[in-house]
Amino acid sequence: MNTLPVAIGLPYVPDWGQLRAFAPELWLIAAIVAVLLTPFFVKKPNAACGWVALVGLLAALVSVFVVGVDGTGEHFRGLMVADPVSVFWKGLLLMFVIGIVLMWFSTTAPTMHQGDGPEFFTLLLGATLGMSLMASTSNLLMLVIAVELASLPSYVLAGFRKTHLAGAEASLKYILFGAATSSIMVYGLSMLYGLYGTLQIDGPGGLAQQIATSGGSALLWMAIFSLIVGLGFKISAVPFHFWCPDVFEGASIEVSAFLSVASKGAGLVLLMRVMMSFASAQAYESTPLLNHLAVLLGVLGAITATVGNTAAFVQRNIKRLLAYSSIAHAGYMLCIVSLLVRGPAVKADLDLASTAAQVVLFYLAVYLFMNLGAFTVAGLIERETGTERIADYAGMGRRSPLMAFCLSACLFSLVGLPPFAGFVAKVNVFWALMQNGSWWWWLVGVIGVNTVLSLYYYVRVIKVMYLDDSSSAPIWPHPLGAGVAVVCAAILVFMLIAFGPINRLAGHYSHFYGVDQTTFTAEFSSSQPPP
Amino acid sequence: MVEFLNNWLLTILIFLPTAGAILVLFARDRDSVRWTALGTTIATFAASLLLFVTFKWDVGNGYGYLEGTGGVVQMVQRASWIKSFNIEYLVGIDGLSFPLVLLSTFICLLACIASWNIQKMTKGYMALFLFLETGILGTFLSLDFFLFYVFFELSLLPMYFLIGIWGGPRKEYAAIKFFLYTLVGSIGLLIVLIGTYLFTRNITGIADVAGGTFDLIKLARPDVQKALGTAGLVGGVAKTFFLLSMLAFLIKVPSVPLHTWLPDAHVEAPTPISMILAAILLKMGGYGIFRIAYPVFPQAAMSLWLLVGIIGVVSIIYGALCAMAQRDFKRLVAYSSVSHMGFVVLGAAMMTPAAVNGALFMMVSHGIISAMMFFVVGIIYDRAHHRELSRFGGLASTMPVYTGFSTVAFFANLGLPGLCGFIGEVMVLLGSFQAAKSDSLLMLGGPGRHTAIMTLAVVACFGVILTAGYMLWTIQRVYFGPQRPEYKSFPEVTQREILVLTPLTVMAILLGILPALFFFVFTDHTVKAWYGLLARLAQTYAGL
Repeated sequence: MNTLPVAIGLPYVPDWGQLRAFAPELWLIAAIVAVLLTPFFVKKPNAACGWVALVGLLAALVSVFVVGVDGTGEHFRGLMVADPVSVFWKGLLLMFVIGIVLMWFSTTAPTMHQGDGPEFFTLLLGATLGMSLMASTSNLLMLVIAVELASLPSYVLAGFRKTHLAGAEASLKYILFGAATSSIMVYGLSMLYGLYGTLQIDGPGGLAQQIATSGGSALLWMAIFSLIVGLGFKISAVPFHFWCPDVFEGASIEVSAFLSVASKGAGLVLLMRVMMSFASAQAYESTPLLNHLAVLLGVLGAITATVGNTAAFVQRNIKRLLAYSSIAHAGYMLCIVSLLVRGPAVKADLDLASTAAQVVLFYLAVYLFMNLGAFTVAGLIERETGTERIADYAGMGRRSPLMAFCLSACLFSLVGLPPFAGFVAKVNVFWALMQNGSWWWWLVGVIGVNTVLSLYYYVRVIKVMYLDDSSSAPIWPHPLGAGVAVVCAAILVFMLIAFGPINRLAGHYSHFYGVDQTTFTAEFSSSQPPP
Repeated sequence: MVEFLNNWLLTILIFLPTAGAILVLFARDRDSVRWTALGTTIATFAASLLLFVTFKWDVGNGYGYLEGTGGVVQMVQRASWIKSFNIEYLVGIDGLSFPLVLLSTFICLLACIASWNIQKMTKGYMALFLFLETGILGTFLSLDFFLFYVFFELSLLPMYFLIGIWGGPRKEYAAIKFFLYTLVGSIGLLIVLIGTYLFTRNITGIADVAGGTFDLIKLARPDVQKALGTAGLVGGVAKTFFLLSMLAFLIKVPSVPLHTWLPDAHVEAPTPISMILAAILLKMGGYGIFRIAYPVFPQAAMSLWLLVGIIGVVSIIYGALCAMAQRDFKRLVAYSSVSHMGFVVLGAAMMTPAAVNGALFMMVSHGIISAMMFFVVGIIYDRAHHRELSRFGGLASTMPVYTGFSTVAFFANLGLPGLCGFIGEVMVLLGSFQAAKSDSLLMLGGPGRHTAIMTLAVVACFGVILTAGYMLWTIQRVYFGPQRPEYKSFPEVTQREILVLTPLTVMAILLGILPALFFFVFTDHTVKAWYGLLARLAQTYAGL
């Protein structure tokens, strides 16, 4: 294994198979180039750029389906991996960003300054590229690049509404926070390199294995902490969440929606990959390192969920409310990530870890539609009425019954009530935690209490829409955006009914490459449904 | 035909109101909305009457509860829903659910007629109303724990809106309070549901529960129960699960001290919704106790009987005392619900066939009486626009027909023999005294329980007296006494109101004089089987 993965001086020519595995990323890059070239051909490039981006994203999504898990393996000399988890995440991400672009057409497009479109979509696609790479890195260097590639465009996107003071503030806050956390992360990762002399995470001689053989040290813990700081910022885990509400409030609505799902999801998938590597290298034994790591993540998740839910109580702005809600949901998912590094080893560990990954992937899939729907409605209402205040939603049940219904569906789903898919996502979470027993029961309790807490503030929005009346005029939302919202609500019901197949799908894709290779291939090649 | 009904009638019953709700959404004007909704509730009621054709009251050998052959559960329809968790779409009916299903369709029909004067957003109201009916029927008919939970929760959402949008001045507070209280219980129930499933996954050696099950029929089977015990669902774990599920159901019932959402919800809800809330939604809690908490956690139920019994008796007495102190007519009726539902909880705690039969009867009779009482209150509120007891008086002379109907409701509620309220109370009390006999299930735990059982039963008897006290006092304050000038011009009950009151009155009398023919014939076999099951489970656990 090279100490530096890219040997200097030797020309490296990737073969077709390696490139094919990253076809979605290549399509995204092509789309970025196309978006940049569009203004040369079109006079008013905003909408055209939107369409170009849409086509690029669709092509990338199709390529995800076409390539599928064929390209599973390590590529580019170990810099990147392609595996079922990354494929699943890319599929979700691209679907979501397509939704975001459609949302942009129906909310921000008419008011966006003509000529800003190319920049906007370059940044959006660039961030998307970074987020899909985040799911495919198994190398510290690539990890930093992917995280930065996802972050830097996001900073600019957050402040994209140039005329908004809040946007500038949000962007600045985001940059400062991001810079601080990522420098801490890079510092910690450099320590890892210093300790073990390699940038590879997986594989023989990789970090995970060396850690497993050499055991923990104070320096290692510092490195792990700093990694969690860096990724915790992306996930907006407490106490690295302060940027989240301000950025969501300051940024335009489709950017908030984009960050709420894509940024968190990418961070979670990356965190899962790293944790899974650690745990796998230690054969899922009950080592102190893994035990402490599990407790650390579990406590982080519990605190994140509780802080998110309690802070959401006092919010008056729908975007801030959804920001805190997204923090809470990140907390739930972090609780599940703590299962990946489950300490007490019994036979079915890999199953268990995969189950945890499956739960997170399913949760992300549901969370995507809940948030996309909620943000879309908020964006449409903002466009028609110019307000983000929850109090101004009064009478929405009468003024726009369809939008009020879709938003209510998404919010009930966020609480976790049937007949919406948020319910089964939550059942999944409870199930996975309870299956582990021991101290995870505390997390069950915390999430249970949090669910009741969350009901109050989600229902408060619904209350304003249906119970409070106002004399304001009815509103007619943009049909495209309304379509997105309705589709989201419908999918939420559909995902509850089709919970079995979709969960099985998530289970099929919940395997990481390089994690206990033998079991991995056996598991994945067999067509048996996961337990 | 009968074959088809056997397979599909329950599914049709559950989803017919949903279909109606969708039709309502496409209706053009207010009248067509109303008539579509009424047509749907009539159709659902008619479909539920078909149950008389298919429901076999005499099956079951009085011993095997819920078992395939010789069991009392019938008209079972099952389809795999979520394969990886063995969750099924599983519906079926037995003597526990049969009366409640009929009660639900009956009350929903009457509540729909009572909703005729809803002017605000009629379309939304009727759609939610019908959606609620689906949730209710689904809860009573599903035999899969997961499916039960989904329907149990499903009934929350429409109720929140129905109270919150069409309610009185403090509707928002009442609606969110109702929602939060119920959700607290539901989360506990969700934990129980998943936890039980995880234990069933550890069972080995029983082929049809391999890989875990949510099937309530299987969960209550003695061999599965025994295997669950070996798998670790005993002692503290079982007690925790029992208490968590009881929490969910006792909030719904509601029992003291978890009852405070009820008076608020009732006072604020519009009259038809109060009728449904009191007559049906509370029964979902009682039904859950009999369907889930006791058969699935029998050992914990038998060891925690005293707690449940005390909760029941305290609800009876405290509810009655609170009712006596109310100044608001509707609050009084609400607290009287708390008091009467206490008998249901007491009946469950005593676990004798008579007590359980009585508790089931109590649920149905209270369903009829409370719907009638709330409608009676609604009528006077429509005219007087207030509900203060002290400001009423002498209504008997201006509204004699109304007073006649009211008196039937009041006397039924206070338990006058010949009316339906009497039978349930007597059966529960009788069953409670029987529980003190040496051959009862509770006495298996030792002779020392005799005193405690007798005390509970005797204290519960005082509830009957208290009920008579506040009911008679209310009649006196509202209907008798000198005529007040401000009520002189009140119109007599309208034909629509008579249309609602008459069937309720008829049922109150019929159930009162012919309880066996109209009720016990349908439940008795199931209750015996239910009791037989618990007795067998007691032996199972004694041998463990």
